[in-house]
Amino acid sequence: MKSRRVVTAALLAVSSLLLTACGGDSGDSAGGPVTLTFQSLSDQPAAIAATTKIVDDWNKSHPDVQVKVVQAGWDGVYDKLITQFNANSAPDIIHYEAAGVVPFAADGYLADLTPYVSEQKRADIPKGVMDSVTVGGQVIAYPTELQSYVVFANRALLQKAGVTIPSGETMTWDQLREIAKVTTRDGAYGLGWGLSSPTAAFVALAPGFGGKYFEGTGRDAKAVVGTGELALPKLVDAMAQQDKSVLPVTLTQSGSKVLASFYAGQVAMTVQGSFQAANIAKDAPAGFDWVVLPPLAGPAGPAQAANPQTLSVNKDSAHVKEAAEFIDFFTSTENLAALNEADALIPPTTSAREALTAKLGSKNGWNAILSSGKHLTSAPYLFVDKYAQWKDTVATPAFQRFLGRELDADGLARALQDGWQTISR
Amino acid sequence: MRALARPAQYAALLLYILFLGFPLLWLISASVKSSRELNSLTVSLLPQQWHWENYVEALSRQGLVHSAWNSLVVALVATAVVVVIALPASYVLARLRGKVRAAGVGWILVSQVFPVVLVILPLFLILRTIGLADSLAGLTLVHVTYMLPFALWMLQGYVSAIPVELEEAGAVDGASRVTVLRTIVFPLLAPGIAATAMFSFVSSWNEFFFALVLLQSPENYTLPITLKMFIGGEGKVALGPLAAGAVLAAVPSIVFFTLLRRRLTSGLMAGAVKG
Repeated sequence: MKSRRVVTAALLAVSSLLLTACGGDSGDSAGGPVTLTFQSLSDQPAAIAATTKIVDDWNKSHPDVQVKVVQAGWDGVYDKLITQFNANSAPDIIHYEAAGVVPFAADGYLADLTPYVSEQKRADIPKGVMDSVTVGGQVIAYPTELQSYVVFANRALLQKAGVTIPSGETMTWDQLREIAKVTTRDGAYGLGWGLSSPTAAFVALAPGFGGKYFEGTGRDAKAVVGTGELALPKLVDAMAQQDKSVLPVTLTQSGSKVLASFYAGQVAMTVQGSFQAANIAKDAPAGFDWVVLPPLAGPAGPAQAANPQTLSVNKDSAHVKEAAEFIDFFTSTENLAALNEADALIPPTTSAREALTAKLGSKNGWNAILSSGKHLTSAPYLFVDKYAQWKDTVATPAFQRFLGRELDADGLARALQDGWQTISR
Repeated sequence: MRALARPAQYAALLLYILFLGFPLLWLISASVKSSRELNSLTVSLLPQQWHWENYVEALSRQGLVHSAWNSLVVALVATAVVVVIALPASYVLARLRGKVRAAGVGWILVSQVFPVVLVILPLFLILRTIGLADSLAGLTLVHVTYMLPFALWMLQGYVSAIPVELEEAGAVDGASRVTVLRTIVFPLLAPGIAATAMFSFVSSWNEFFFALVLLQSPENYTLPITLKMFIGGEGKVALGPLAAGAVLAAVPSIVFFTLLRRRLTSGLMAGAVKG
């Protein structure tokens, strides 16, 4: 009796499997509307809803060009895309970060969108951000969302230490160091910075110190590690080891983990990705008074390297023009403002940033976060082959060893450059 | 002294069970905590407030139930196919000598050498050619191919452990080869079959990479793909709903294990052969 039930269950499962296999999307029907597949990586419920609304609006106003959203996850998306491109089954419209799509463009998988970018749109996107999606003179993607690194501060702890909350257009790293020193008191530390994987932060913030990390592009790129590149790691080391103003354990944690110390008042400030504003607003204890400090500026200014999320078009798509038109619609001021508000990220266009600033004002630090978006610039590492490999196997361990005092600054520079030479050989 | 031995044994067993079960307990605990509590420094197994909304969000947000059904179908079919193929094949591997066995063993070992990233593209192209790309049938086929070598290796170990004298005794009593297999070998193999089935089911149920690359349509996604979608870009993780989803995802494996647990118990051969 029992075995009969097992057999029945197995047969049901097989039938279901075969029925599922026999079904499926038949694609465009002859003479019918064009159907574009849009592989979206939106992950937050609000962002998924915003994306769905944009697509629905498009589908309603464009009966001849219908867009079908295919929801996918961030994890493993590179492997998925490389297989799709090689097997000629990639979606028409691709959502991914610039660091991911630039290599695809270099390998010829993405369509040139230059003819479809209007002058108005081009003027609306800061040059540095536009450069991050331009490969060989061709625009290969539209930027849709950005993040920057900002300082979140516990207003009560700063005021208790007698610190006047900075309110200018920018604040310097020296100011940050000074405030961290002053607020390190009564068992609390001035700063918590999740640097368990420090490369992204150090590379993104290097432009403020004149650092680039790479010269040249593609296979000919060369790692350069000099004063500008070493300035920030040395500053963090000085704050942690000399000033003792950084909670040591946070240097071994992820950014999200550090937030628990921030909420508990163990640290007065924390450097985080700007998107964390939404999490802090949601998770901070009731009555927790926090503020986003002005964008950090180094000797070379407040610039940060941008790695925007983007939309690009599969070169083998039968409908490149229609896909580009959809992306143009997707990146309208109204749509970008709605999407970035939902994702707690920074719109890449000036008009959408202004719209969001007007709508949200200083709520949850939006004004400071949006202001930091002005200073985002192109990142040299985007155009370097094997950056991801260098980051994971060379840079991250080297930075960790430096922060753990196993390497001095010269040793760090040597490790980063020699590691690059080995990888790029 | 002897009076203390039994309580000490139970205490050791309890500690061992706690050690093994703690990650699961922690997962269950995280699944009923609010985002605020999960992101605080307070560490406790019991939540300050029971936050069942994580389960509601997990079930409503990403099509978790549909994905679980897909995973169940793929895992059950793949397990059945693997066992049906591996059972006779493992007997041949264990009992016969000669070139077939050598080729079989060679195939098993060689097939384990290649990393999945190396075979994924050819697999994708083959599946597309036969019209099975982006389908649960295609994924099942890949799971069977991927699990079969290890299942064979595992099961042939169980076959080897059955004394050949038992089969000879059956033959002496006039039983045909088929009768010997049906009435002596296969029943004795029940624990091995159960173990192989469990290995196959859990492997298929948890498999991520093939499903990630081969399945394109959300309606075909399996559970690991859907669960991964709780982990977003920029390090954003919906920890509570993810934990709730993971707890729900563990249920079928636990049920499957419970059903097969009795079969896993050995001792069937106790006293079968003298000496």
